[in-house]
Amino acid sequence: MTRREKVLTYLETYARSMDQGVTTSELSEAIGVLRPNVSKVLNQLVREGRVKKTNGRPVHYFVNHAAGKDEMKMQQKPNIGFAGYARIRDPSTKGEVAAKKHEVDVFKSMIGSRDSLKNQVEQAKAALLYPPHGLNTLIIGPTGSGKTYFAHKMYHFALDRKIISKKGFTTFNCADYAHNPQLLMSHLFGYVKGAFTGANADKAGLIQEADGGMLFLDEVHRLPPEGQEMIFYFMDHGTYSRLGETAKVHHADVRLVYATTEDPKSSLLQTFVRRIPIIIQLPDFNQRSAREKLQLLEQLLTLEANRIHKNIRLSEDVVQALLGSVTYGNVGQLKSNIQLVCAQGFLNSMHHKHEITLLFNQLPPNIKDGLSNLASDRRELGNLSRLLEPMMVIKPDAQRGTPDIDSYELPYNLYEIIGDKAALLKEDGLDQAAINHFVMTDINLHLKSFYRQGKLDKTIDGLGEIVDQEIIELTKQIQRLLQERENYPVRDQFIYAMSLHISSFIKRIQSGKPLRTISADLISMVHDYPVELKIAERVKDLIRDHYHFPIPESEVYYMAILLVSLKSEPKTGKVGIVVAAHGDSTASSMVRVVSQLLSVDNIAAYDMPLEMSPKVALAGIAAQVKRIDQGSGVLLLVDMGSLSTFSNKLIEKTTIHVRTIDMVTTAMVLEAARKTALIDSDLETVYRELREFNGYSRTIEKVQQKKKDVQKRSDQREKAIIAICSTGEGTAKRIKDLLDKILVDHLIDDITVITVSLVTMNEQIVKIQQDYQIVAATGVVKPQVAVPFVSLEDLLQGGGERFVSLIEEIDNHAVYEAETFEHSELLTKEMSQNYLGRYFTFINPGKIVNILWGYCDFIQQRSQSKLSNAFKISLIMHMAGSLERYLTRSEMRVDEQRLSRIRMEKLYPIVKQANEILHETLNINLSDAEVFYIVELLNTEKEKSDTQNN
Amino acid sequence: MVMTMDVRFLRIDSRLLHGQVTTNWAKVIKVNRILIVSDRVASDRTRKTLIIQAAPPGIKTNVITVEKMIRMYHDPRFDLLKPMILVEDPVDARRIVEGGITIDSVNIGAISFDTTRVMVTDAIAVNPADVAAFKWLHDQGIKLDVRKVSNDSSKNLWKSLSEKGLV
Repeated sequence: MTRREKVLTYLETYARSMDQGVTTSELSEAIGVLRPNVSKVLNQLVREGRVKKTNGRPVHYFVNHAAGKDEMKMQQKPNIGFAGYARIRDPSTKGEVAAKKHEVDVFKSMIGSRDSLKNQVEQAKAALLYPPHGLNTLIIGPTGSGKTYFAHKMYHFALDRKIISKKGFTTFNCADYAHNPQLLMSHLFGYVKGAFTGANADKAGLIQEADGGMLFLDEVHRLPPEGQEMIFYFMDHGTYSRLGETAKVHHADVRLVYATTEDPKSSLLQTFVRRIPIIIQLPDFNQRSAREKLQLLEQLLTLEANRIHKNIRLSEDVVQALLGSVTYGNVGQLKSNIQLVCAQGFLNSMHHKHEITLLFNQLPPNIKDGLSNLASDRRELGNLSRLLEPMMVIKPDAQRGTPDIDSYELPYNLYEIIGDKAALLKEDGLDQAAINHFVMTDINLHLKSFYRQGKLDKTIDGLGEIVDQEIIELTKQIQRLLQERENYPVRDQFIYAMSLHISSFIKRIQSGKPLRTISADLISMVHDYPVELKIAERVKDLIRDHYHFPIPESEVYYMAILLVSLKSEPKTGKVGIVVAAHGDSTASSMVRVVSQLLSVDNIAAYDMPLEMSPKVALAGIAAQVKRIDQGSGVLLLVDMGSLSTFSNKLIEKTTIHVRTIDMVTTAMVLEAARKTALIDSDLETVYRELREFNGYSRTIEKVQQKKKDVQKRSDQREKAIIAICSTGEGTAKRIKDLLDKILVDHLIDDITVITVSLVTMNEQIVKIQQDYQIVAATGVVKPQVAVPFVSLEDLLQGGGERFVSLIEEIDNHAVYEAETFEHSELLTKEMSQNYLGRYFTFINPGKIVNILWGYCDFIQQRSQSKLSNAFKISLIMHMAGSLERYLTRSEMRVDEQRLSRIRMEKLYPIVKQANEILHETLNINLSDAEVFYIVELLNTEKEKSDTQNN
Repeated sequence: MVMTMDVRFLRIDSRLLHGQVTTNWAKVIKVNRILIVSDRVASDRTRKTLIIQAAPPGIKTNVITVEKMIRMYHDPRFDLLKPMILVEDPVDARRIVEGGITIDSVNIGAISFDTTRVMVTDAIAVNPADVAAFKWLHDQGIKLDVRKVSNDSSKNLWKSLSEKGLV
């Protein structure tokens, strides 16, 4: 490619309109051509009219579409968006022919299709083009990462390439009917008259509707197991039955695309997953590059600009705040945040005909927070700053900003509603400030009610169980007023902490207990926080107005302290952890377990398939190290010694301090996460301590030695969990009750829950530690103690159970043995043989184990359900028992009624066939009573895995 | 009335929780918990994991030491438990009863043969320590009920031990 072609191709791809324009230096960096040379080419192209430039500095260049059609056609013409838009853009017949001749690739217009989504796009194309009918595809990605959007692109691609014969993209969200499996199935497969009450006529299902087209099943993990079974039968045979029919007589040709936010390994039937050869994983928003994030922002803003037909002007800090405001909801959250600020900007700039301006100081507090979120990630901020100009102007552009149908799209035109409402209020004679206030409340309401049905509203269900609804409502009202009137930023935790606080206070008043006294400590502490004190006064007034009784001054102080503690803590400084291990998912599964248990954010995984070259691995690990570093260095945990030599190379490559430990286990990752959870822990200390921990599990002698040591030094202090709330009385007591119940349920009788007040937290903790060994903490704030912590929200949303399990595990110095043998067939066989020897008298373990292993495999294959290794051991032991009973003529007995019932079971013929193996090899014929127990055992296991999956 | 933990079933079986228990006993006896009481298993991670994974659906299962079993039995916080207790051998069963747990019958499923033991029935082998423990249990008036599963006809182990001349 010549220099000129390079420049043109780049501009064609990335700078198709004025707002996408690039500067000379950006271009030079991107295509690797010296700046003066780029500059020369650009000037030449501008003279020819092929490229346009903006006025003002720095100059931005972009493609002039009016010129050079012929030449463009000859160069591999890239992105046009959907096939349909080619016509809108280019009305001449010539253009249309051109668009058809060069097969349009809708994926090209997708942001990231050459970068973070490159593999995913290739997978999608492969899935669609695979002869003769394509491959079934599962898209996995977190909430809001664009699964529906991606599926849409697949559909359009399929349509353009004439892969599917019929237009029609049928979407079905399995979560919609998850509470009613029958209804869900009837929607999918249809039903016949009389199949159930109310089925008055035959009805075709979505599968029929989608015949010849594409069917997108979202949140497929909510599909009940029997639904998954019916779907996979359909995948295999192309036939299905409607509800109420016995034969599978209907046929349909449907491209199936599934999506889920969950890990398919644990949320879907394995028989189902095995039928899906293509699994596409979409990245988190935060895994995407700064450039892509910016492109996404621009595209979403263009969408809004198109809706309001005005330019949108925003400054650098607004861009940063918007990007930083994406916390858990990915692109979807960005989209809704953009809608919110644009609606607000629209309202504030109604008088302005051509432009709306988004000003930082007018942003809602949760979006303003985005700026500080971003600031705590210096690297990302740096990358972004390089791409940003002080001011950005987004213009309407019909080619780019066409909304796709997705669940983040409002079902009505919000801007029309705002306009109408504002006009109406103006007629009523309201001033602008009042109008803005009313309408803004409205906008919030619209967006909120919309997202509540959708995905972004976090549930606060658990709270309702212990706090009256009235108090929750009051707290929400307080939250709103603080945000809107006082401009005081409040976060998610606020509802929990404040409503619990109010609740305990009200209970206290109602029960006539004496009021809390204020200590001198408290007063002096609060006076360091004048803002919170002022806000607490407001909150007090609001509570007083609601309940119509005076609120004592002491409450103001307690609430002020609560507010102080609810301010977010700085995010810098934790030591990062990267786990790298061989195997497709070894590292990520360890990291998943640990981050679920501890809800930590300073840990990343890097999976290395066995065929991966060290060079690729090094680059991949370096990327993860960079991502996870918060300025305090990174601990690299690896599975094999050879990787431990990476340290120096990584330090060289990333300039981040890296320490490596090998022989990683889940327990070690857990320990590392625990140790680094403290802000003031440093890499060297953590490294030293972990190396010792490593030695702990290496050899049996060492373990025993260590155990003795531990016992010698063992802590005589009683174990305790501390529960922290503002006063140490109300909320914390409730937490204590809750935890006590869970502890008893786990049969833990040696851990005491101790309540602690925020005010003198640190002193109290020191005191507690004299008599107790603190093993965990929970409450409104995280104390500076090196123990697992669970937030109040998590605890109330059912996280208590998990929390206690974690404490149990750590307490037992648990090594996840189960996981290791689930991955090893050899180990399982060895273990089975060992147990056979221990528990049976007449059979030869060494000879029998392979026969019974084959027996398990046969059952697994025929029943199409994966048997866990743990269950295989159970089954092998059971079978050995059967054989011994046969040999000692003491076989089990079962009455005829039950026998005849078992003969109807699906598994009965499979077990009978499997028993043939025993007949052939050992000349043993088990009685039907023994078959009965084998079938029962398999059924019990199936029932168990089904309940776990739901 | 003072409430205490209602132990519904005490079973001796070398293999503790396995097919006969999950498919049969756990279904016919109304319990809300399965307690595997064994010092050995409580300190053996792998066996503990395996046993817990073999638990029947819907019934919580824990592995605890004999000492903890006795401690819990006398702790009013655990009064609501209606457990089925599984032990490996009669010695542990005796320790539990000595610790104060009230029961009028012990079920014996299987005790594995090893070089210290002799077979008494098709599935039960005993050594001198086992015999002493069974004798103690018998002397407390506790019935020694031999059944693999609930619908087997019950045999009295005391009779078999006597016939073999072991007691």
